[in-house]
Amino acid sequence: MFRAFRSGLLLAMMCGSACIAQAQANHFVSNDLCKTCHPAVWNSFYKNPHFKSVASGKEPPESTGCQGCHGPAGNHINNGGGKETIRAFSVLSAEQVLDTCLRCHSQTLSRANIRSSQHTLNGMACTSCHSIHRSQSTRALLRKPQTALCEECHTDVRAQFAMPFKHRVEEGVISCTDCHNPHGSFAPTWAMASRPRHVDQAMANEEPCLNCHADKRGPFVFEHLGVRVDGCETCHAPHGSPNSRLLLRPVVFTLCLECHNGGGDFGRQGNGIPTQSSAHNMADPRYQNCTACHVRIHGSNADSNLLR
Amino acid sequence: MRIAALLFVIASTVFAQVPVAPSPGLAGEPLGTNVQNYNIVDSFETGYRFSTVGGSFEQYRSSVNFGDGIRLLGSSLMVNSKNGHGRLFDQFTLSTQGLGNDPYESAVMRVEKNRLYRYDMSWRRNDYFNPGLVTGGGDGQHLLDTQNRMQDHNLTLFPQSNLKVFAGFSTSSQTGPGYSSIQLFGATGNTFPLFSNVHRVWREYRLGNEFRVFGIRVNWMHGWEDFKDDTGATLAAAGVPVAMPGPLPAGLSSFQASDPNHGTNPYWRAAIFADRGLFHLNGRFTYSGGRNAFVVDERSQASSPARVQNVITSGNGDRPVATGNLNLSFTPTSKLTVANSTSVYNIRTLGNSYFAEFDSQTQATTVLFYRYLGIRTVANDTNLNYQVSHLWGFMGAYHYSERLITSQQQFTFAGATSSNPAEQSNQLRSGEAGVRLTPWKPLSVLLSAEIGTNSHPFTPIAGGDYHTLTGRVQYRAKTFRLAAAVKADYNANSVSLTSYAAQSRTYSVNGNWTPLSRFTIDAGFSRAHTYTIGGIAYFLDQQLFQGQSSIYLSNINSIYAGVRYTIRSRIDLYLGYTRVQDLGDGRAAANAGVGSAPALFQAVQTFPVAFQSPMARLSVKVNDKLRWNAGYQYYGYQQDFTSLLGYRANTGYTSLSFSF
Repeated sequence: MFRAFRSGLLLAMMCGSACIAQAQANHFVSNDLCKTCHPAVWNSFYKNPHFKSVASGKEPPESTGCQGCHGPAGNHINNGGGKETIRAFSVLSAEQVLDTCLRCHSQTLSRANIRSSQHTLNGMACTSCHSIHRSQSTRALLRKPQTALCEECHTDVRAQFAMPFKHRVEEGVISCTDCHNPHGSFAPTWAMASRPRHVDQAMANEEPCLNCHADKRGPFVFEHLGVRVDGCETCHAPHGSPNSRLLLRPVVFTLCLECHNGGGDFGRQGNGIPTQSSAHNMADPRYQNCTACHVRIHGSNADSNLLR
Repeated sequence: MRIAALLFVIASTVFAQVPVAPSPGLAGEPLGTNVQNYNIVDSFETGYRFSTVGGSFEQYRSSVNFGDGIRLLGSSLMVNSKNGHGRLFDQFTLSTQGLGNDPYESAVMRVEKNRLYRYDMSWRRNDYFNPGLVTGGGDGQHLLDTQNRMQDHNLTLFPQSNLKVFAGFSTSSQTGPGYSSIQLFGATGNTFPLFSNVHRVWREYRLGNEFRVFGIRVNWMHGWEDFKDDTGATLAAAGVPVAMPGPLPAGLSSFQASDPNHGTNPYWRAAIFADRGLFHLNGRFTYSGGRNAFVVDERSQASSPARVQNVITSGNGDRPVATGNLNLSFTPTSKLTVANSTSVYNIRTLGNSYFAEFDSQTQATTVLFYRYLGIRTVANDTNLNYQVSHLWGFMGAYHYSERLITSQQQFTFAGATSSNPAEQSNQLRSGEAGVRLTPWKPLSVLLSAEIGTNSHPFTPIAGGDYHTLTGRVQYRAKTFRLAAAVKADYNANSVSLTSYAAQSRTYSVNGNWTPLSRFTIDAGFSRAHTYTIGGIAYFLDQQLFQGQSSIYLSNINSIYAGVRYTIRSRIDLYLGYTRVQDLGDGRAAANAGVGSAPALFQAVQTFPVAFQSPMARLSVKVNDKLRWNAGYQYYGYQQDFTSLLGYRANTGYTSLSFSF
């Protein structure tokens, strides 16, 4: 009995010693050892933005090279590899991936809101979009070209960009990140209910549309209030539309008249948004073309009716 | 590893059906050329693009716009230092697309020297054409045929340090013909459209800095934006458009207008952010002070009877805007995240517009307008997210916004001043709940619902009482991916004169499958249903009609599919098809008789449209550095009720791709 107990104790001590030895063996090693088994990754790593930390030569081992992200490789080498012996991103939870990446990448304002972004809260990890070693993008190490990457999940938006009238995203002249910040953005101040999400702000505090459509910015003496109060989406579908100029309606007069109907307590004076004047005979095609005369529909300096 | 990488490339390049050219991918697997300490990889594709168009060429230009000619369809240059210690730079990348007169041209460049600087540049040109009035009584918009050029330059000094310095410059310009309008003398004061020469330039300069103090990062930026619009127009009497018949002034002999409009928008932005322990804090404050000065100078002259009219409108607009954001997220455990976001928005727009008219017959008139518009919005958003287990989690959120709008409209005429101040406020409250399921590692499900109410929408079409349902399912395996999403929005307002209601439902599904390294198939379908009904009021022969409805019904089906097949690693064949069709409400023909307004509104309740684009691309590997490509893409656009706007375009290209 005693012998059995002694043997068990000895076995436990040996196992414990071995475990401690193994834990102690999990130390940082020279990054050169990694290339023995991962030559393809190693040989092209100088093209990777993360190579900066290697080139620096001043970073501590936990912040540079392979082990900067994958953790100490001592056990990994001693055991001849394996995902269990190193920090393998393919088996990490989204939160663990985020924590690992943010050790370095939290230092940028554009990623300041990543922890509360809808992408993160819905379980997306950095590696859902980024591929460190098999990137197809020269910038940002995206695992796919940006448009294809975003459309993979946002299937409804992909359909909008297939419309006959759309922003030229598929054509490559603009990209999703011209308007959106996938890492989360500050709440859009111009809108209510903190919507829309993930939309970047132009200049300092404006809708991103004005980044390119600067002529709509103003300030105008005579603002089109619908634009200034409720934003461009009052009349336009920003991604794409079957109607020209990304309008919400195929003809412009229905779009105008649905607000300018004088009804209810809408508008700034609470007595309805003004109807058109009685001179507008809607049976006359001349008056069906609203913006042919009201050319300064986004705002005017010279005319309160936005005529010039 | 290489096969896996190849699968990856193929799957991604098939997924999005972009225009047929440039060809995706490189000619081979470029290892690059080593020159001293640098590795250089270069690839470019050059060829000839062609197009033939039947039907409405204007509509084609408005939506597709590819033309004929030799193009540098795409290019990419990457230079990397091999040890990270290049003399002038460690990384240089330049990629271009569509150079040589494609309607959408772009170039993106980055130069970086580790730890010292990073410079990013982008240049874009976009030919923008909208046919406007030439659509033959269709959509009633004004013509704009302009070219937009945009540039962005950003320089970051010490990008990897705790003390960064930012400098930037952006500019955009818009030039070309566009419709404007003039108000000529005459009994009715009618407005006439005329061509103007659009000339707008906008520039922005930025300077900023980021540093770290007590573990908190501080980022500030100051920007100076200036813009000028020097659009002008000149008109001879014969040039008055006939498209807009009206009582023209008798004997008009000349008209000249200049409309200079210059201004500036200086702004400040300051932000703090910290990612420490359980708390994550971000704050941001911005202030911009827009100012605009303008003159509109119009001169009209008639010879018989002799008459001269000068109109000068001048003044200035100011728009100070202050905003603030404060975000706080708390992660007490790895499973729970609580986030709160507060934003404040305060904008005031005020301006004077002095109108002076001298007419040789009616003598002088002066009017002084003053406008003020103030908007103040405060929004707060609380979001709780809990991951119960690796199988499922849930979220809940509450949003509150309050907005106050104040305005004053004032004008002074003949010594008398009339003022019309107004004020209104509204609150928007909404609650949101959702669940996140991962019953199996490749499968994820998201379901959420939101219900909200807006106490006082500003416009009839804005959301009043609304609710939204959203669902998303994704299955992702190594060679197969399937995703589906559904979103339904219901919005109901009800007031005395108008009753506005809107409902939209969008269903979409897509997937891609790569059973073999040489074969990939990718397809998707989307259906978007929209139905709105809004009250309208309008005049018919000076009689007001109220209480009628404007109905709009749209059922848009969108489908795309693509197949890629590679033969013996040498020949790459791609076939793709995209079709978007608005089925309308099923009526076979447009309602006849648009001479009366009610019939006119019935005619535009629905607008069936079909847009399709099949394409085929063949790419043959000549050797490791050279590929020959050829492709064809058809664009067909058809509006069922206005056949004059349809077009058929055959476009294509042939090119050579080089990689080094």
